[in-house]
Amino acid sequence: MEKVGIVGYYQVKLHSDANYGRYEMIFKAVRGAVDMAGLKKKDISTVISCTNDYYDGRTISNCFTVEVGGGYMADESKVEMDGAHAVLYGLMRILSGNHKLAVVWGGSMPSCFPYHSTRLFETDPTWERPLAYVNDITSAGFQMRSYMEKYGVSAEEIASVAVKNRKNAAKNPLALAEVQNSNIDVKEVLASDIYADPVTELMVAQPCDGVAAILLAPERQALKITDKPVWITGIGYSQEAYYLGDRNLYESKSMELAGKTAFESAGIKDPKSEIDVAELFEAYAHEELILSEALGLAEKGKGASINSEINGDISINPSGGATSGNPPCATGLIRVIEAARQLRGEANGYQVNNAKKAIASGQVGMCAQNNILFVLEGGN
Amino acid sequence: MGRQVAIASAGFSEHASKRSDVNMAELVSEAIEDCLKNAPGVEFDDIDAFVNGNMPAFEGSNMPELWMTDWMGARNKPLLRVTTGGTTGGTVAIAGYYTVAAGLPKVDTVLAIAFEQQSQGNTSVGLASVAYGEISILNTMGIPYDQLSRLLSAGAAIGVAAYQATNYMRKTKTTEEDLARVVVQNRQNAAKTWWTHLKMPNLTVEEVLDTPYISFPLRYGMVCPASDGACAMLFTTEEKAKDMCEIPVYVNGVASVANETAVLGYDGSGTGQIDPSDQIGAMKSSELAYYQAGISFPRKEIDYAEVYSPFPNQELMWVEKLGLFEETTAPKMYETGVTALKGELPINCSGGVNATNAIGASAMERPAEAALQIMGKADNQVPKTVHTSIGHGWGGSLNLCTLMVMSDEPRRKWRR
Amino acid sequence: MSEHKVIVVNKGMVRADYNFWVGRYLDKFFDNLENKKIVGNKCSKCGDVFVPPRKICGKCNVVIPLEENWVDLPDTGILKNYTITPYRVNDRTHRKAKDLLLGMIQIDGSNTAIVYRLLDLKPDEIKTGMKVKIEWAEKPKGDPSDIKGFVKM
Repeated sequence: MEKVGIVGYYQVKLHSDANYGRYEMIFKAVRGAVDMAGLKKKDISTVISCTNDYYDGRTISNCFTVEVGGGYMADESKVEMDGAHAVLYGLMRILSGNHKLAVVWGGSMPSCFPYHSTRLFETDPTWERPLAYVNDITSAGFQMRSYMEKYGVSAEEIASVAVKNRKNAAKNPLALAEVQNSNIDVKEVLASDIYADPVTELMVAQPCDGVAAILLAPERQALKITDKPVWITGIGYSQEAYYLGDRNLYESKSMELAGKTAFESAGIKDPKSEIDVAELFEAYAHEELILSEALGLAEKGKGASINSEINGDISINPSGGATSGNPPCATGLIRVIEAARQLRGEANGYQVNNAKKAIASGQVGMCAQNNILFVLEGGN
Repeated sequence: MGRQVAIASAGFSEHASKRSDVNMAELVSEAIEDCLKNAPGVEFDDIDAFVNGNMPAFEGSNMPELWMTDWMGARNKPLLRVTTGGTTGGTVAIAGYYTVAAGLPKVDTVLAIAFEQQSQGNTSVGLASVAYGEISILNTMGIPYDQLSRLLSAGAAIGVAAYQATNYMRKTKTTEEDLARVVVQNRQNAAKTWWTHLKMPNLTVEEVLDTPYISFPLRYGMVCPASDGACAMLFTTEEKAKDMCEIPVYVNGVASVANETAVLGYDGSGTGQIDPSDQIGAMKSSELAYYQAGISFPRKEIDYAEVYSPFPNQELMWVEKLGLFEETTAPKMYETGVTALKGELPINCSGGVNATNAIGASAMERPAEAALQIMGKADNQVPKTVHTSIGHGWGGSLNLCTLMVMSDEPRRKWRR
Repeated sequence: MSEHKVIVVNKGMVRADYNFWVGRYLDKFFDNLENKKIVGNKCSKCGDVFVPPRKICGKCNVVIPLEENWVDLPDTGILKNYTITPYRVNDRTHRKAKDLLLGMIQIDGSNTAIVYRLLDLKPDEIKTGMKVKIEWAEKPKGDPSDIKGFVKM
């Protein structure tokens, strides 16, 4: 795979109730990314948006975002998954040789709709949905119990992941204000409201309002546009079985496959020692452990025992991860941006020393059914 | 940079107004089975990745490919979902093209699937909610809430299409007979294709003109049906396609350009600021796709076209905007038989969207049929040899156009 | 921005009814459910038994013919996993309610698990691996609610 450069990015500050229009957010993000690269509207040749008709409460949710997203008279399309999947489509368009500058943006406003009710529409409509027993919350409960019972991991160990991410989020100025807490401890996480036993409220990545945008360009053009390009050198994505009963919830088959392909294409043999920063989309605290184990960053069942703090054995989610704010359709895209930020040395306050190689992931579905992984490298 | 992409196969499910005998997942698997049947050399394991899409609000399922994983055969394989409303099918086909063209690690062969089971849901509500999201704009324009219900009924596809039709007819002096003639050609063609919905082999212009108006100038007999159906296409590399089928169809140009969002007008026309029959997005799309394919004279170089026309006036408009005919001359071409099966430039020999409209799938059925014409495998095969064909899609709020240019020879790079 | 006062809120509610066709396989399953019987179907390649039945075995990617490979199954099973939730995603007015005990139950003789309520059990009595049995609804209608839940055996 030829490498593709990230030449600009922008993320708006996350809010639980942004109280300004989604079009303003989209414009701010896309304009911010184009300005960062020092380019102009006419340079955009393709735009990939990422929204969801159900999250936006309207059919064809990208229909009215054409102008604000920079898509007027540009080759335009929409991905209806996670923002990271939109980055993938932007990447494909660059790799095809048809386009020289791709804008990828994604985002949503859950302050305008009941997020978990909407996720119910993702379930099998004839078998599971009528009773609503299977939904994103209960499936997370099943997943966490499965992980704990399989490997004998305690709830405290999983809560400490949430503690780490919330403390990291406190250093990230764009994180959701509600989750920025540098004094939080394991006890507080375990004592918070039960969502689906054993998952508690503070282990959940809270849905919030936000939009992010990224600019991609082929290698030759990227070197002209910026002095500090970040390269996407590896990519893998995969979807696993849907029904919870068909899956081993304590592991992530799809991430395993995605990681294998991504590492192979980037020429990475030992991810544990070669990767400096991992930005993973964990919708729940335990998912960070499951995903990092699937990627080989830790042994199966031992995810909690590695030091994943900033500048630890491997820095996982120095930005706070999805816990620092989970704007649907943007979270995975923000992970890519955060990884790029680390590689450019621009993560003020949560910078990982000497970061050379990073990974960023996105997911969609119950218990992370579809996972995507990017390998990013800094430097020229 | 970028690989040459080829279409190895295409398949359809049976289309009807109510496919109540199957659920959405089973409907999709029908199309996949048909697609693989048309390419006997392809095993399921040969498929490396999937692309799919539909219009989710119509069926009450958000991202249905999640629970339909097994029915698509996508378990433990890469899968991407793209949707853009009415153009979803075209968008999915284009995403299939890009997945192959990009040369992603371990991805050579891609199955693209578009589907819609409209009988499950409430399509008018689904379409109305396109407009409903723009309430803030209605407010700023001073439109009172009590008129909202009227707006909703007019804001959906038929509402905007009627304005588009009158605009077009004013400019081109098109008559209602011209519109009816397009409908007759489409429905008669549909009768000769196995998977289509409205099969009317003996329809006449008089019969069409005898039906009541829905919204002037569109009559009940001119409007597309709402169908259940699915379509699948197999994209692969140039090298692999040669083993998979006799005549690979090369994808030489793709584009999906959106122009100005059509903000709801004062009286719910759907397009307050631009003339909905201008379609500069479509012109830009065709310019881009023809450039990629090295086509300079579309009228001479294109042998067959499938255009997305739920309403007959649109078919006339598109063939002009896509550069196939001189502006305002399309009605005459239909009258003189240029666009008929045995004509010089046959159009919509599958019956088009006017005879079958499973919305999410429709825009993919266009390139799929256009590809089958090149392969010589279409049910209603045109007698002349088709070298180059186009498949077009339309959607959004009248403003997004997808176009795929296909040919029996690979992209001619020296022409660019 | 969030510290600013709310300027305009437009509330919108689009209501649409959906009728989902269940398809040929689930139709047969629901017919049996109405008679308080559980049936599954079996993949002829790997031998996995599915409840509810499916057209395609995702693992082997083969079609299971509609008329073949049906298996009658008992109304007993093993609890594979459980969770307890007060959260109601499908109720817009009352998010939090009484604790709901949910289990993933593998029906004996099948290779997958279904999610249902656990009835007449206290949270501390639940253990994965315990044997459970279906409690049928009083008047089965041929839909998923015919299984009221599972009770301890």
